[in-house]
Amino acid sequence: MKRRVVITGAGVISAIGVGVDEFWRHCLQAKSVVTPVPEQWLKYADLRSRLWSPLSNYDPESFGITRTEKLQLDPVSILAIGAAREAIERAGFSLSPAGDRLRNFVLSGIDSARTGVYLGTGIGGAHSFLHNHSHHLYQRARSELKTYAEKHAPAVDREILDNILALMVHGPRYNPFVVSMLMPNAPSAATAIRFSLTGPNVSYCVACASGTVAVGHAYRTVRDGHVDMAIAGGSEYLYDEHGHIFRGFDVAGTLIRDCTDPETANRPFDEKSSGFLFSQGGAAVLILEELEHAQQRGATIMAELIGYAETFDAYSMMSLAPGGKQIERMIHAAIADANLFPHDVDYINAHGTGTKNNDQTEAEVIDRVFGKSVLINSTKSLLGHTIGASGAIEALVTALSLRDGTTHICKNLDTPLLGLNFVRSVEQHDLRVGLSQSFAFGGHNAAVVLRRYN
Amino acid sequence: MNVQQRVLKVISDVLNRNESEINLEASLRNDLQASSLDQMTLFIVLEDEFQRSIPQEEVTDLATVQDVIDFINKKLREPSPP
Repeated sequence: MKRRVVITGAGVISAIGVGVDEFWRHCLQAKSVVTPVPEQWLKYADLRSRLWSPLSNYDPESFGITRTEKLQLDPVSILAIGAAREAIERAGFSLSPAGDRLRNFVLSGIDSARTGVYLGTGIGGAHSFLHNHSHHLYQRARSELKTYAEKHAPAVDREILDNILALMVHGPRYNPFVVSMLMPNAPSAATAIRFSLTGPNVSYCVACASGTVAVGHAYRTVRDGHVDMAIAGGSEYLYDEHGHIFRGFDVAGTLIRDCTDPETANRPFDEKSSGFLFSQGGAAVLILEELEHAQQRGATIMAELIGYAETFDAYSMMSLAPGGKQIERMIHAAIADANLFPHDVDYINAHGTGTKNNDQTEAEVIDRVFGKSVLINSTKSLLGHTIGASGAIEALVTALSLRDGTTHICKNLDTPLLGLNFVRSVEQHDLRVGLSQSFAFGGHNAAVVLRRYN
Repeated sequence: MNVQQRVLKVISDVLNRNESEINLEASLRNDLQASSLDQMTLFIVLEDEFQRSIPQEEVTDLATVQDVIDFINKKLREPSPP
């Protein structure tokens, strides 16, 4: 018999809020943070998109990250640890120091071998890879060029050389920990080390669907009895000094083109959408627990996870298959996994990136499967795209929406696609079942189904 | 804080020890039980603290806390990095 799986804790770090309470309050207020991209990026390339959503509000020290750790962990791992710590504490576990390793903790009242960590990330520690790569590439060349410029260059050449030197930005060291910083399994490993968890530890690298796949697989392992508790979610960090990662998405034509008004540029599911808003990153972590395990320790239950499915387009590395046949199959499979029918679903947290083809295909599939009454929003209309963290953040939003019977608006929607029932104002609704779905470069589709817990 | 105090603070943070337990003649490896990974960590944090590049090949012979303090003092007398 399948076991029931409930969400008993959550943590989040995002551009619009650090911590679930601030994040959710700002979601309901439709807050966004959209600014011009860092000026130094424009020295390296003529970027077509010029806006992003910076993550300027989090302080690693506030969740116990020391200077030493900041030099040994990529921000993607620090974000994961921060979100996990909040989730664990919100779930009601107290943290005790783990022996003489003062920075690590053990959780009260759990079997650590029956607790797994399942975290997704799209690009892992690419920030650290690029940071060290620029040192590797530039450090000697820059030093020699600078010596030459100072000793031999006449005034006119000196100015040119100084301009070149100014472009050769690199960090102060080639970090001896770079391999353990950049590897995509670092966030899940670092999180389990931090909290002394010895159960299964798996990283999911499924681009924009990473967070959803991680939560879905964690759900299955708890449901099927392999573990009693799972720390599940996603983490992403997309900044680098030269704007390399941004440029990759920019040249692919995926980012917002119309940057005239930062307030309204990001508009998923609107006729005037022009691409997705690049986010600096973020993380969300959920504590999934077997129902009796949660009840025995008197945990507060946020929502119940009742279904999961995934399919693959087998069509293109960068485009959804026209028609969305595999997305439709995935939705039906996720709902069947939950022993429900499409008409049972009250709310969809859509993938909703703001890229025209994606939004059109997703809207058509939703229309075919659910019709025009199901409530829909896109959390990316507030946050932009956090890639591997997005699915986890959106699963959290779905859980909070079911818990509170309300959800955030789909922002900047003037002319919605296909006349679907997008959330236009924050109101109370009878939300019993929600579905959160993600689609990824490569062709991966995944969805989790959640139910309000009574 | 002077250089010695700053070095002792870094050693204390990296090795999770009270500063009072760290005497200047203590061997990093034998007395303070710093593993090779701990020593790698120590020198990247010292780089960060003093904003000087510390290539690994320059620190392989440093055995005691005093050796590290002397090495940092020597580094600080060198010209600033470009």
